[in-house]
Amino acid sequence: MRAVFVSVALLLLAVSPAVSQTSPFDMSPEKPAVPAPVQPTGVAPAQNDSAPIAAAAPQPAASLARRYIVPFTELVLSGEYSQRSWSLFLTPEQAAAKAELHLGYQNAVVIAPEASRLKISINGSELVDAPIASSENASDISVNIPANLLHAGMNDIAISALQRHRTDCTIESTYELWTQIDTAKTFLSFDGPDAGRWKRVDDLRAIGVDENGATTFNLIVPSMGQTISTSPAVRLGEALALMASMPNQSFDVSETGSSAAKPGMATIVLGPASELSNVLATVPPAAETGPVATLIDDPRLGPSILVVSGPTWQAVDMAIDDIAKQVDRPAGSLRTSLSTRTWRMPDVPLLSSASRLKFSELGMNTLEFSGRRVRTDFAVGVPSDFYANAYGEATILLDAAYSQDVLPGSHIDVYVNDNIAATVPITTSGGEILRHLPIKVTMRHFRPGDNVIALEAVLMTRADAICAPGATAQGGQRFVIFDSSELAVPDFARVARTPDLAGISGTGFPYNRSEYTLPLIMDRTQPESVSAGVTLLARMSVAAGRLIAVDSLTAATAVADRNALFISAISQVPPTVLAQVGVSNGASSTWGETVASIHPNTEATFDRWRERLRDSGWRGQIGSLQDWLTRTFNISMNSFRIFPGPAAEFTPQGSASLVVAQEASPVGSGTWTLVTAPTVGALRDGVRSLTEQGTWRQMEGHITTVDASDDKVATVPVTRFNFVETQPFSIWNYRLIVANWLSANALSYAVVLTLLSILLGFATAGLLGALGRRR
Amino acid sequence: MRKFLSVVQWALASVCVLTLVTLPISLETQLVAGMCVLVAMMVLKLVRPDGIWRLVALAFGTAIVMRYVYWRTTSTLPPVNQLENFIPGLMVYLAEMYSVLMLALSLFVVALPLPSRPSRANSGDRMPSVDVFIPTYNEDPDLLANTMAAAKGMDYPADKFNVWLLDDGGTVQKRNSDKIGDANNAERRRAQLQKLSAEMGVNYLTRDRNEHAKAGNLNNGLSKSTGELIAVFDADHAPARDFLKETVGYFDEDPKLFLVQTPHFFLNPDPVERNLRTFEKMPSENEMFYGIIQRGLDKWNAAFFCGSAAVLRRTALAETGGFSGVSITEDCETAVELHARGWHSVYVDKPLIAGLQPATFASFIGQRSRWAQGMMQILRFRFPPLKRGLSIPQRLCYTSSTLFWLFPFPRTIFLIAPLFYLFFDLQIFTASGGEFMAYTLAYMIVNLMMQNYLYGAFRWPWVSELYEYVQTVHLLPAVISVILNPRKPTFKVTAKDESIARSRLSEIGKPFFAIFGVLLAGVAMTVYKVYTEPYKADVTLVVGGWNLLNLIIAGCALGVVSERGERAATRRVKVSRRCDFQVAGKWLQGTIENVSANGARVLVFGAELEDLVIDAKTGIRFKLFSDGTEAVLPVSIRNFERTTDSIAIGCLYLPTEAVHHRLVADLIFANSKQWEQFQLSRRGNPGLLRGTFWFLRLAIFQTYRGLVYFWRDLRGRDNIEPIGQLAEKRQ
Repeated sequence: MRAVFVSVALLLLAVSPAVSQTSPFDMSPEKPAVPAPVQPTGVAPAQNDSAPIAAAAPQPAASLARRYIVPFTELVLSGEYSQRSWSLFLTPEQAAAKAELHLGYQNAVVIAPEASRLKISINGSELVDAPIASSENASDISVNIPANLLHAGMNDIAISALQRHRTDCTIESTYELWTQIDTAKTFLSFDGPDAGRWKRVDDLRAIGVDENGATTFNLIVPSMGQTISTSPAVRLGEALALMASMPNQSFDVSETGSSAAKPGMATIVLGPASELSNVLATVPPAAETGPVATLIDDPRLGPSILVVSGPTWQAVDMAIDDIAKQVDRPAGSLRTSLSTRTWRMPDVPLLSSASRLKFSELGMNTLEFSGRRVRTDFAVGVPSDFYANAYGEATILLDAAYSQDVLPGSHIDVYVNDNIAATVPITTSGGEILRHLPIKVTMRHFRPGDNVIALEAVLMTRADAICAPGATAQGGQRFVIFDSSELAVPDFARVARTPDLAGISGTGFPYNRSEYTLPLIMDRTQPESVSAGVTLLARMSVAAGRLIAVDSLTAATAVADRNALFISAISQVPPTVLAQVGVSNGASSTWGETVASIHPNTEATFDRWRERLRDSGWRGQIGSLQDWLTRTFNISMNSFRIFPGPAAEFTPQGSASLVVAQEASPVGSGTWTLVTAPTVGALRDGVRSLTEQGTWRQMEGHITTVDASDDKVATVPVTRFNFVETQPFSIWNYRLIVANWLSANALSYAVVLTLLSILLGFATAGLLGALGRRR
Repeated sequence: MRKFLSVVQWALASVCVLTLVTLPISLETQLVAGMCVLVAMMVLKLVRPDGIWRLVALAFGTAIVMRYVYWRTTSTLPPVNQLENFIPGLMVYLAEMYSVLMLALSLFVVALPLPSRPSRANSGDRMPSVDVFIPTYNEDPDLLANTMAAAKGMDYPADKFNVWLLDDGGTVQKRNSDKIGDANNAERRRAQLQKLSAEMGVNYLTRDRNEHAKAGNLNNGLSKSTGELIAVFDADHAPARDFLKETVGYFDEDPKLFLVQTPHFFLNPDPVERNLRTFEKMPSENEMFYGIIQRGLDKWNAAFFCGSAAVLRRTALAETGGFSGVSITEDCETAVELHARGWHSVYVDKPLIAGLQPATFASFIGQRSRWAQGMMQILRFRFPPLKRGLSIPQRLCYTSSTLFWLFPFPRTIFLIAPLFYLFFDLQIFTASGGEFMAYTLAYMIVNLMMQNYLYGAFRWPWVSELYEYVQTVHLLPAVISVILNPRKPTFKVTAKDESIARSRLSEIGKPFFAIFGVLLAGVAMTVYKVYTEPYKADVTLVVGGWNLLNLIIAGCALGVVSERGERAATRRVKVSRRCDFQVAGKWLQGTIENVSANGARVLVFGAELEDLVIDAKTGIRFKLFSDGTEAVLPVSIRNFERTTDSIAIGCLYLPTEAVHHRLVADLIFANSKQWEQFQLSRRGNPGLLRGTFWFLRLAIFQTYRGLVYFWRDLRGRDNIEPIGQLAEKRQ
């Protein structure tokens, strides 16, 4: 089968008859080329499988006018219909320049080209609508972008794939359909004199991504060794991170640094004017007199270097403040959305109490579908003090319809963060219009921050059962979800917990709201550790949506009972801090040397054997009863625990290269978080892995470890925690908090219920003794 | 003060429990809590099922029931925009809420039933003058003779009490009826009863018009008599000798007392007991009312008048102008009125009368229709929940008693709701299989366990459901009609002396077979659906299970409407009394083993079989309880058989004069202890599991029996008799 390219006509604001979905639908990624019928359950989207910091080959100067557009390490469009949308910031010069869109992709061999189409639209205008026919080798498409389509600022990009199997009509076959976008060959190229340069500080928003979806800030601080430089560096890093708001941002902090100008990378020089001469060929003269933040072309470092300077450190701070105040959010202001536009359209609404949102408000438009399995999703955010995992139930009021072809036995599934949360079986034949059908969605899998809720319809028809030749491509519309559907979230309990790393991941809690500057204890002398610190705090600021003021001068011993963040190689971490956050003291000597697990992990081996022997004999039946209980009621031994035992000390094992551990401060009112690795190099790489969007959102529990080599995340759940009040006292909130706690501790509820019932029985006896006749 | 404190304590405890059960907890927590509570209730049941721990167990159950209500209310109703689901869904919901409300009210009523009061027979109370009223309408003179004889035989100074036969069948209105046959009958009846009364020393009284039915008849008696107290006995309720001694004393203790009610004890089974053959081993239906509920009402000073077997105070009745007659249940209505005026009542938990109850299913339904309609009328015209003058507990008690009769509505809904799903695919209950297990199943088991806690020894599992179902089919139209036309129903006297000579289907039994057929189709539909629509098999199985339960009860009801023919017209009461029996002119020693209103069984020692002849007229000589004299009761021999050391002879009374009725009454009614013993012998709590198995076995057999009757009925009435006997022999 030869792939046939259909070049796309340039149609200004064209309305092609083939356009059926031009609206942004964000399809959750699935692993491509999985032939087996894999149920997409708890597996997190694997979009960060390869290390983003691949060797960056020196780029020719002209490539500066190139903007890679895929903000992910990997982009795979899988299933019969898949869609992603995000925004791209363009400078006025880029918007004005003549531009060309390049698209490179490869697809699964089973995709039928005549029935499958790949589409890209920018700002609502469809630029690519091509058959998917590139199974043998990657294909490149390039399209001229009509003038005036791009504009300065945010430009919306939507990419979608409609894919059909060549021969198979089964549900399973839809899992074999994938199209992988080649991120290195998918970019905008600009033909304009200044399109590759930044002129204003604000132009840094257009930093974009490199070919791996990563964004790197080269922060050159000549006086890095001085203690006074650390806080400004962190603050500038936070401000820049908030400005760009890209999903995978990292900072390389160095004293001298050399610029390798390329897309997705910016170079910033920070320091008083007197110290900049070491790195810059010419120091901007204004820096000698007052605060300055400006972009210059430097012969030594290259074009578009951001210089933040002034005569003194105070002036430098003022220059940073000028940048920061554009992006900072006042402490008291209510946050209503999480800024995710650069990688997910639209910005995710943040729910802080009961709310009802129409799908249209969540960026999901009416979707008609003619295939077998369709998945579409939207995202909502919850705050870090969200505490309804155990009892909470949201409701989707679904407006949908299915045709008479759809057979009973089809179903609509709801996934929250890729965990199944509800199933609605279709039980009637002959088609039906569902009007605001309530679907209860457990909030068990909600995490602080953004949460992806996916709806997947699995449709079975008689035609598919027969599967006549060509049937895969044919057929009228079978299913539609209307954007008038609603998500209703009830009031949920709000109280924060310590430790809870998910809070940091979600909204930077508790460091996002502290009234004092956050003590940041790190090794300032090592550029790697400073890079790690700036990268981490920048990520936390993006999560928090505001700058987090840090105080890098506090000594570990002087933290007392405040919040604190410790970022060091493990050998530098004070033993008291290790003990407090529950990391084994011995770890400092052994970790990193004992590479991989020398001792076989008995528990894991046992589990594997038990798994293998599960289905045999009557014991297997008991096993499946257990499974059923777990599935249906989520009952585990934890439910029968009344008082949690003390958490075992954690010793980093195996290939974990970074450990993030959180625990309450010694007296309990502050929250200490330790980020540590065997070496400073591992610390920098580990934090870079951790702060990537995909990894970052997996951080949770008491301890999270990251394996930098493959971005594998492991967590140690919280066994014991303190509540941290975040809301003014209200009976209603307390009731919900109690409900959640008791739901998580089922036996406690039973015990309390028993005791209260006994009390009621005795009270009733007393009452009956006092009232009525006694004789 | 102590009262106030305990109310506050109780309110606090309730608020705590209420807060806890209305938390929106997760399914797993509910499941764990439900199981813990179930286990706790079972353990309590085995270890300490009484006293304070009974209340604790009930509190456990209440918590689970409240959780169910909370969950049912907040998360199971179908969405309002699906009207085809919402309306039936709401109906089922309301029916369930009615059941929960009734459970709550019964919990209140029977929270702590008063213990039985000690006997007062020998307490030397003052003996006020008493008028004994025996209202009658159409009862047989023989039956009345027994009752009058028993009333006259009561152990009370003869000058202190007068017995009145209040005959509404011989009124001027009746005698002047346009139908000449009726008029003649009335005339003849009047003459006959006047003669009988005169012979027995009873005052015969009739009136001009049959106004206000039984209440009017009693009021007529009131106006013609002067006694301080009034005792009322239905025509078929014969009092024991100690009736007055056990009751009148209370009136002097409490000057505001207007009523002493005693239980109704029946010598014959009701049609359900008779057709299912449970009379001898299972407590009667009314024992729950007289054994527990009236005692519970008594705790709250709310025991009410049940029309018979009670003593009332004339001055109290005078306050309301006698017995109230707005509703067709004048008894309860009178009690509401007097309670509202601050009068008190007392319930004596000791059977002191023995009577008859309807023998056929049709007359049983007729009686229940009257009660249901009367109670609806009271609800409508007196509205106890808001009746001024009643205390709050009394309001709750009367609300419970009257609302109970709305049961045909929820029963009907529970019966047809599963069919909505099975036949029309309506989703009337939105819940997953897991939720159903954790909430509904726990609720149902807890509900049954609470019933067992409350009424265990008096009501076996599923028997309430059976009784409600068999009444529902005919009571539903009756209740609807009284709701639409509250003044329409008229008092109809229940026939109680019918007997069923031949086995046959009840004349009003057909609908039960139709319902059974529909439910059976539902079961078939369940099976069909499980196989053809496996993706919703879980819901289908749950609903199908519910339908199957309905089918089991409906199947058992088929047995209820298949009337067994019976040899003895009335049930025999066990006695053990020395006597002499005349055989071939010789008086031989013997023991009277059991007696009924018509005959007795005597063990005779030293007789020869050859001397005995069927239908031979002879006599039994025995000593009377009343005055210790000996007398001879003429009988005829009906059958005899040899036992190990004697001959058992069945004989029929041949009363010819009034004194013979006294003898019969003395034999049957003189000793109330024997009735108590009989009742006690049936009481026993089989427990939930054993009771359920027992019911299941019973239901399967009765379904079979009902279907056999039905088949024979289709083949023609002529063949019925032998089949009936066949069915007899099988048991």
